[in-house]
Amino acid sequence: MIYLELFISFLKIGLLGFGGGMSIIALIQIEVTNHGWMSEPEFLDIVGISQVTPGPIGMNCATYVGYTATGSVWGSLVASVAIVIPSLIIMLTICSIYMKIRDKWADNKVYQVVMRVIRIAVVGLIAFAAYRLCSKASFIDTTSYVICGVVGVCSLLPLLKKPLHIENAHWKRVIDTLSHPILLVVLAGAVGALVY
Amino acid sequence: MGEFRKVLELFWVYLKIGTFTIGGGYVTLTLVQREIVDKLHWVEEREFLNMLALAQAAPGLIAVNTAIFVGWCVSKGKHRWAYITAAVLGAVIPSIVCILAIAIFFTQYKNLPQVESVFKGVRPAVVALISATVIRLATKI
Repeated sequence: MIYLELFISFLKIGLLGFGGGMSIIALIQIEVTNHGWMSEPEFLDIVGISQVTPGPIGMNCATYVGYTATGSVWGSLVASVAIVIPSLIIMLTICSIYMKIRDKWADNKVYQVVMRVIRIAVVGLIAFAAYRLCSKASFIDTTSYVICGVVGVCSLLPLLKKPLHIENAHWKRVIDTLSHPILLVVLAGAVGALVY
Repeated sequence: MGEFRKVLELFWVYLKIGTFTIGGGYVTLTLVQREIVDKLHWVEEREFLNMLALAQAAPGLIAVNTAIFVGWCVSKGKHRWAYITAAVLGAVIPSIVCILAIAIFFTQYKNLPQVESVFKGVRPAVVALISATVIRLATKI
């Protein structure tokens, strides 16, 4: 029964998919090949589309594979639900443990230092992700650098509020609007459509 | 009634976040920081970073893991499942709807030259957004 196979496969992927997006795609590829759900080029197309549609890449890919493997919407839903179930169970467990530790040790010096080190590591990881995105695929010509520069400056505008003592409600609103990530993504897309 | 409205608000905010998570899961972080930490003050900045550590260490999609944690934090112990469900559904519904629409109706979507043009513009913007998030988070460690 293909639905059961899909469910178990994506349950496994959700459980073993450490490191997010791309490592999950790799796991999906293994399952797809093992079950013979589709050909290699078909799968690569799906990965391509998953990257250029809204939503987390892993979720897009799971939904698409579920649909293609079964030819029905139910396949998509089975795959999407299955990939989330392990996350739910594991995150709920982690959350409840974390909250207990936090409430108990909030004033503990060692705990504070450990959490601080972890936070530094997380910022480092995100910085690394940004660095990896700085590839030839992202920067194709001068326009790319201009877009990157303008978006960068706009999103850092809120940092100026304090040093420049901006109290005026009107200017605050202008800054908040200009630095909004959704607006910036939409504008960058529009520029891309016009220029390329 | 107030609780119900807050659950709906969380769902709505996450629907926005899910829709504009384009070009990789890390954009979610920029959006969550903006909407949930800066604007609604539902999660504190440091708590947000601790949460990212947990969401990245756990298996599964980072965006979904983050949504679960945000739901947990916002609920403050009451109606926890409602909040978590709202956040997770908001995060994944745009993804499922778009993919199904493409799979069923627009199988040629990826080959459209317009789509590629838009993404040529979005990709460098994503690099900038994530870098800006790094800088802003680094000032709050």
